[in-house]
Amino acid sequence: MLVVTEQLTKDYGRFRALDSLNLTIAPGEIFGLLGPNGSGKSTAIRLLLGFLRPTAGKAAIAGHDCWQDSVTARQQISYLPGELRLYENMTGRQLIAFLSQLRGQAIPPRVDAFAKQLDIDIDRPLVQMSSGMKRKVALMRVLLPQAKLLILDEPTNTLDPTMRDQLLEQLLAAKGRGQTVLFSSHVLSEVERVCDRVGILQRGKLVHLQKMDELGSARRVRIRFATVPDSLPDLPGFQDCARQDHQLSLDYTGPLPELLRWLSGQAVTDVRIEPAGLAPVYQRFHGAEVES
Amino acid sequence: MTGTLVWKLFRDVRWALLVVMVLLCAFQTLWAKITQRIIEELLPAVTPFMRLESLKDVLFKGPGKLMQTLMGGEQIRLDNALDMLSIGYVHPLMLTIFCIWAVGRAAGAISGEIDRGTMELLLAQPIPRWRLIVAHFCVDWLVIPLLCLSLWAGNWLGVWLVGMLSTGPVVDTSKYVDPAVMGPALVNVAALLFAISGFTMWLSARGRFRGKVMGAAVLVTLLQFLVNVIGQLWDLVAPLRPLTVFYYYQPQQIILQNRWTVDVGKFSSGGTALASVPMVAVLFAVGFAGYAAALWTFCRRDLPAPL
Repeated sequence: MLVVTEQLTKDYGRFRALDSLNLTIAPGEIFGLLGPNGSGKSTAIRLLLGFLRPTAGKAAIAGHDCWQDSVTARQQISYLPGELRLYENMTGRQLIAFLSQLRGQAIPPRVDAFAKQLDIDIDRPLVQMSSGMKRKVALMRVLLPQAKLLILDEPTNTLDPTMRDQLLEQLLAAKGRGQTVLFSSHVLSEVERVCDRVGILQRGKLVHLQKMDELGSARRVRIRFATVPDSLPDLPGFQDCARQDHQLSLDYTGPLPELLRWLSGQAVTDVRIEPAGLAPVYQRFHGAEVES
Repeated sequence: MTGTLVWKLFRDVRWALLVVMVLLCAFQTLWAKITQRIIEELLPAVTPFMRLESLKDVLFKGPGKLMQTLMGGEQIRLDNALDMLSIGYVHPLMLTIFCIWAVGRAAGAISGEIDRGTMELLLAQPIPRWRLIVAHFCVDWLVIPLLCLSLWAGNWLGVWLVGMLSTGPVVDTSKYVDPAVMGPALVNVAALLFAISGFTMWLSARGRFRGKVMGAAVLVTLLQFLVNVIGQLWDLVAPLRPLTVFYYYQPQQIILQNRWTVDVGKFSSGGTALASVPMVAVLFAVGFAGYAAALWTFCRRDLPAPL
């Protein structure tokens, strides 16, 4: 395992920001950390980076303790912070060169090609760049070093839809190169698109681990009836049914032909069947906080 | 890696450094002109009517005592070029510039990076925290000599411009000055800058907001300055003077008497000194202690997320 946390806990005074986190991430995996603000996502990431000293438990990256042996652990990491602050008195190229030198590496040769791909002039001073452009420079800095583990804290903030797509493609490409990705997000659709596994945090606790391929068979069904049926059929896989006036919403994991057969005998005016994705899982823990 | 950090930190301060160097040099040049006007024009115009001692009595009586204290005390001779020129090293404006530089740079060193949010960027790289403190230490040792040299350059330039430069055998020591004799006192200047930088660095390593750290450091420095000045005027406060860094900043003593030690304990033991301590060593020790405390603190603290 590349990332291992055991009973990882962080208290700020009397407030417990992270509570006994046990997590493993395998090499080559894309892992998503989900949760609303204050659920402990950033605290978990900051503990992995050695920015915070654990109150209890431990975290290790490639076998190196994230606090005691933080420098070696950070050699494996390339990190994109959620709140992006750069040295504004540098140009994009100077920033990339400076941070590469700190890693003991030369400026990556593909820097210009990558800049062209992201449509960004890295010879402009950062102070003259828009926040989206700065985000692109930061992404270059994260994706260029070929680190074993990419940690991205809400990486799609302030990105336009095109750039967001490009970033997600880059994450998949990184996985293709054998890199591991850990990223936190509020946006379920992007997590569903790239992650192999997600962890849902709630008030500092990891409350659910979900493999994305296990979500494949679940469907969200919305049916509008002309006449509401007296009773629902006894089909396996009916979950979380909600009835409102003439509309029925449910999650269905059973065989689709049986559901369609039952529907054909009802006075249905409209029906929508779509992959359920993460939403119902997330909703189970965070209810109304889920992204629409 | 440390070299990369040092270069980056030096690059960050380069314009401010240039401005401060020009200010220090310009002030010393101006002070040489003021010295020349006092020695060659003001005193010759006054002394035919009033003895120098009587003039000093008038100038330094009552509230004027404060001015005498700030100038370096009773032993400073107004009719001697070197004595007058040495005042340029203890002038309140000079001390203010020294403090602004040392406090300003060191306050932003750690807490400034945390405040701006760039500390995350830096420490996400595989660099140990101690290396950042060492890099700041190196920048201090690179920058402080430059500041001292600019001060000295101002002495040379000023003395040369006003025609007080002593070349060859000195004819009249009260009118001509060899700025080389002021050179050793620069060590004391450097030590003061390093001491202030050291304890401010410790405050910075503990803090989160640059503004708050700077406020605390200014308060500590100002308090020390006031205790040292008031202690020279009021015996009750005098025993506290050795607790301030400014007590160990006596460049005039080095320039005029080649004396590198100060007495401690004499205020609390009826005027007899308990010990003589090397003032430069004390200031450097304060600086080193500040850096050591900063190192210890910074390597153990949590790095809060930027707001």
